[in-house]
Amino acid sequence: MNSADYALNMRGISKTFPGVKALSDVNFSVKFGTVHAVVGENGAGKSTLMKVLSGSYQPTSGTIEVGGVEARLRRPADAQALGIRMVHQELNLVPDLTVAENVYLGRMPGKWGFLDKKDMLQKATTVLKEQGTAIDPQERLGNLSISQQQLVEIAKAYAADPRIIVLDEPTSSLSEHETAALFRILRKMRDAGIAIVYISHRLKEVLEIADEVTVLRDGSMIETRPIAGVSASDMIQLMVGREVSNVFPKSPAKIGEPVLRVNAISDGVNFRDVSFDVREGEILGLIGLVGAGRTEVARAIFGLANVVQGTLTLNGKNVIINSPAEAVKAGIAYVPEDRKGDGIIPAMSIRENISLPVLKRLTTLGRIRRNADRSLADQYVKKFSISPPDPERRVNLLSGGNQQKTVIAKWLAATPSVLILDEPTRGVDVGAKAEIHHIIGQLVADGMAVVMISSELPEVLGVCDRIVVMRDGQASPPIDRQDLTEERIMALATGEEVA
Amino acid sequence: MSEIASETDRDSSSERFARGSRLVDLLSKTGLSLAIVTVILYGSFSSPVFFTAGNFLNILTSMSIIGIVVVGMTFVLVVGGLADLSVPATIACGAILSLGLQPIIGPVPAFIVAVALAGLIGSVNGALVGYLGVNPIIATLGIGTVALGIVQAAVGGVIVYGANPSSAEFVKGRLFGIPVVVLIFLITALIGHFILSRSFWGRWTLATGGNYSAAEASAVPVKAVKAGAFVITALAAGISGGLLGLTLQSARPLIGQGYEFSAITAVVVGGVSIMGGFGSVPRAIAGLIFVQLLTNVMVLEGVRTPVQGFVLGILIAGAVGMDSALRKRGIA
Repeated sequence: MNSADYALNMRGISKTFPGVKALSDVNFSVKFGTVHAVVGENGAGKSTLMKVLSGSYQPTSGTIEVGGVEARLRRPADAQALGIRMVHQELNLVPDLTVAENVYLGRMPGKWGFLDKKDMLQKATTVLKEQGTAIDPQERLGNLSISQQQLVEIAKAYAADPRIIVLDEPTSSLSEHETAALFRILRKMRDAGIAIVYISHRLKEVLEIADEVTVLRDGSMIETRPIAGVSASDMIQLMVGREVSNVFPKSPAKIGEPVLRVNAISDGVNFRDVSFDVREGEILGLIGLVGAGRTEVARAIFGLANVVQGTLTLNGKNVIINSPAEAVKAGIAYVPEDRKGDGIIPAMSIRENISLPVLKRLTTLGRIRRNADRSLADQYVKKFSISPPDPERRVNLLSGGNQQKTVIAKWLAATPSVLILDEPTRGVDVGAKAEIHHIIGQLVADGMAVVMISSELPEVLGVCDRIVVMRDGQASPPIDRQDLTEERIMALATGEEVA
Repeated sequence: MSEIASETDRDSSSERFARGSRLVDLLSKTGLSLAIVTVILYGSFSSPVFFTAGNFLNILTSMSIIGIVVVGMTFVLVVGGLADLSVPATIACGAILSLGLQPIIGPVPAFIVAVALAGLIGSVNGALVGYLGVNPIIATLGIGTVALGIVQAAVGGVIVYGANPSSAEFVKGRLFGIPVVVLIFLITALIGHFILSRSFWGRWTLATGGNYSAAEASAVPVKAVKAGAFVITALAAGISGGLLGLTLQSARPLIGQGYEFSAITAVVVGGVSIMGGFGSVPRAIAGLIFVQLLTNVMVLEGVRTPVQGFVLGILIAGAVGMDSALRKRGIA
């Protein structure tokens, strides 16, 4: 087979962000007329690789050939000019335009700035018909269901006459029936010679639709295989199979009575009937794939989102929490996943960030007691060895790890009885990671109850006492760590095994 | 602006541009004080009247009425509320009510009622912006128009005149040799500065403007804080309007026209970020001093009014442009 049979040939792609190597020496090739699945855990490098392919990121090193010709993709427009189209998980459509207008958005047919509506409508009708969908091209897009909109998004990519289409979790909002319809369209496009890159967590679907599969793990390409002869458990093994290293084992703390009990809570959208409890001195892991509803559960417990059903019991008493302020008062703290978006106030100093949730306690007659404010910050800067050890330093000038320590300090200052940590070690270097594990270990040794959300299986297995696995908004009962392996967790998270 | 720089200023501003070049850093710290000194020097050489106690007292007095609004407006910008465009209406409300109610309930209660009702306008603004998430420009524009309409209808006339000369005497008079209006401005500024830089409410205001969702996740009552900024501004505008009415002894519905623009100009020229999360009362007042001095020099020089407007317009556009540029370097 010569290189012209390959729609895409990425060689030795590496991408380094400050402090993190997101991709290292990845080789990835896709043939024309095939569906090529890409699987891997959260953070394995799938989206980074696709961003390199779509021209959003520049690789640190490596070459890309599209259709046998070497290409430099400096910006998304370059990739589009070469016939590379992305269909993202979040839809990029305009609700107030018609289906036809959306399909031809940015490439509307016409002359001298005048739109040829008839031509556009005709073309859109043809495209939709070719795909075998029953969507009226003159319908306002916003009137369609999400799954129909998804099909329009695909039609939009298809109408651009692409050579490569990348689909990122296209079935996450589709029912089984709609998924089958999508697969028919994908097969049609494949048979027309288009190369389709299919990213999904759903291994069953990968087995059904893909011709080849590439497994990524920790930013490296592990293996590319034809799908024939591959089973779901093979893929899981390849996705997680790594030595357990860099894990700070938890110092054994005395486990006491349940502190927080979550009784069958639902938010009506992202999760339902979630129940678990977390005990004094215990670290409870809450894990699952992206979109499984972990973060949503945490935000709901903390009062950042509504719970429509179910109750919370804190230290034996039923509590109702409608806002973070009430959560803090009740003794629940939450270190959010999105550190920059929800964690720090970038323009404020370490001191001002740390005292924010407890500001009222440091106040006399409306005035913040300067000494109390300072000594609180000093205490945590020292305790967590935040570097540089200057409480007046603006927090956005710190490294990721030190920002995270500042956010954790902020919450400990509120002396909670339950601490929820959402991806506390994401994007921090190995040293800071160990320090954060050490801090968590100290907290539970002092009797705090900790809920930890993490995508890193070795971390979860190394640190947590019990683990709740979430999938599609539902949670398994807490499982003791001794009864779990990485493979079993992945099986539970992907639905290959039911707890 | 070293003459009025305070400790909190140094706390936050010294680091703001830490990633920028040294020149940018230096300019951002000293630019405004340099500009003020330049205007004073130029004015002193070009006009014999400029550098006189009489002229400065003039500037200070005319600055005071708008200065009170500037103190309030600082909160709106810092909290990330863009701007309060209901200020002209609130000022008119303060002026008309504090004069119109005089014959009925006496001057002091009239003033208090005027300010309280101004505060009510602010709470409606605040409820719309903070709790319902309406765009502040639209909300304050709409509520301002509504409020002005109600006040006019209630008063009935077009112009309201004062009925109590002694209250006018008091406002125009002096205490310890300082005009009363100036004293009230200074007290308002001190209170505003205390709230923004020393109180928990001020810290919450800065946090809400700096990162709304992080502040919310840190148990800051963000909605109330955002609404509060509009109440503070309305109270300030009410006081300002009341004083304006008492000074002039007459009030028309359009009495407050242009004050919102002057206040926003001063705050922005003072380096308070229009995106929120950064700024202080002393900075805003420094901006006001600069704008007032510049206007005064232009008036003394005989610069025509349209040209004055042109210069101030350029100034505000330049200041906002500078803020975005610095923000890119500093915070991004």
